[in-house]
Order: sequence, then structure tokens, then C-alpha cells
Amino acid sequence: MKSLEDLERLKEETLQDIRLRTSSGSPRIVIGMGTCGIAAGARETMLAIIDELKVRRKFDVTITETGCIGLCAKEPIVEVHMPGQPKVLYGNVDPSRGRQIVVSHIVNHKPIDQWIINVEDNS
Amino acid sequence: MSLHLLDLLQNSAHAGARNVHVILIEDEANDLLEITVSDDGKGMSSAEQARVLDPFYTSSGHKKVGLGLPLAAQAAAMAGGSVSIESNESGGTRVAVSYRLSHPDRQPLGDVAATLVSFVAGNPLIDLVFEYQGPKDVFRLDTRQIRTEGEGQLAFIAKFEEKLRGGLSSAGYRPDRGGLFHEVTGRS
Repeated sequence: MKSLEDLERLKEETLQDIRLRTSSGSPRIVIGMGTCGIAAGARETMLAIIDELKVRRKFDVTITETGCIGLCAKEPIVEVHMPGQPKVLYGNVDPSRGRQIVVSHIVNHKPIDQWIINVEDNS
Repeated sequence: MSLHLLDLLQNSAHAGARNVHVILIEDEANDLLEITVSDDGKGMSSAEQARVLDPFYTSSGHKKVGLGLPLAAQAAAMAGGSVSIESNESGGTRVAVSYRLSHPDRQPLGDVAATLVSFVAGNPLIDLVFEYQGPKDVFRLDTRQIRTEGEGQLAFIAKFEEKLRGGLSSAGYRPDRGGLFHEVTGRS
């Protein structure tokens, strides 16, 4: 049997988790960090994206990661979720492309068409 | 090698871990380099543990290979080391990868800070404890100790990276230190 504090903590963690997943008000970037993503340089891409967000002072953007989605040849793969917009999947995102995606898509709301591999409309 | 570490950390995240403990030991007296990752994730059955080093085994449904641990094991075997896995079906896994520190085929450590920063950035719900026993000093960093209430994700990541890089360098960390081949070509 768990103590009351354990349950309280579990509740707080779960709520936090839900907030994170449903925070539709702010942009979200998801980076593929499976073995294939890592081998293709996803770590450097992520650090470049974090750095560019800092430079552009976009502190409301949430960054998370995901595993292999089965498209290893296109790694590093980066998903951009803008509030109220379909999910955009970019392929072969090296650090320089990562920075450009932040500037063009997140800051200026202009997706970079030639690097998009999929657009998923969930609405 | 820091990329193998990132792969192991992803396994922990995938297992639903909330707390991850990383220990990196450079033991010159015993010519040993050891990376240990312990988590409180869902754990593995003994049948699963027996198969994780098989590159064609994966717990994932949508792909046919699982290369993270097999690649780390290969790198260890090439450098006179081994992988040990302890896991409990009721939760918790500990993976230790060891190498002979001076082995010519031992890969250099690479940018461990970049690995930990990207892991912490991508998994804001996981608390990480990192311990480093370097050639000069011992360094320990706990994300719970540096997290403050209401601070943004980016601010936290910046603070974490600064403390991590500072601590690593004063403990004598050198990313390029590795086997003969890597030392010459500078690859990591």
C-alpha cells in the first residue's frame, strides 16, 4: 500500500504530464532520438534548436523527444506542432536546418516546404 | 561513446523511468572506464534480458531491429570490456558498460555534456543524477537540486549545461581522450 504522500506525488506528476501533452497554446518541437536519430546527429540538432530558441527568445516553446518512428533514412526527424496547425514533419534536419526551422516556422510562421516529409492534420 | 550513453538513456525514458542515475568512472589505477545507467522504469523479465543484446530483438512493435544495446556491447567488446544488465520485472534496470581505459580501440568519450543536456531537455519529467569520477576530482549533479519553481524549460537547460560543463572540466574531463586511432584522427 502506498502512503498518502506517494499518491499525492503521483497525482502531481500525472497532472504535470497531462499539462505537458495537452499544452496546445504553445508551439512544440519533437525530435526523434532513437538509435537511428542519434547516429544521424539528432543530439547536435537538438542542441542547435535549443540554442536558436534562446537566441530568438522563444521561451514558450516546449521541446520533447520521441523514439524511432520507422523512417530511419530521413533522420534526424523533427516534428513541429504549432497551435491550431497540422503537425509538420521535417526530414534530414542537421543543426543548420534546425536553426532555420526555428526562425522560419516557429518565429515567422512560414514552414520550409522543401524539407517537409509529411503534414498530418489531426483536426 | 557519449552517443551510446544517449541510447541507453533513451531506453530508460522508453521504460517510463522517473529517476535516472548515471555514473561515469575513469579509473586509471585499474585501467577501467565504466558507464552505469540505473533507472526506475518498468524493468525486464529474464527472458527479455537474455535477448536484449540480439540486434534483431526489439520491444517496439513497428520496427524489426533494436540496435542500441548491441552496438554499445560491440564497442565494449572491442575495447576489452563487457556489458552487464540487471533488471527486475517489477521495475528498475541497471546497465553497466565497461571498457579498458587504455585499450587502443576504446572509443573516446565524446561530448558527454551534450548527451546529458539533450536528454534532460527532451525529458522534462525525468530527474537525473549524474556522477563523474574523473582523473582529477569527483563531480555530482542532481537536476532536483538545481530546478527552481516556475522557471522555464530553456532557462533550466541553460543552467544545467553551465553547471555540468563547469563540473566536468574541473574534474579533469577530456572528451577526446581515447584509443590510438581516435586520438590521431580526432573523431568522436
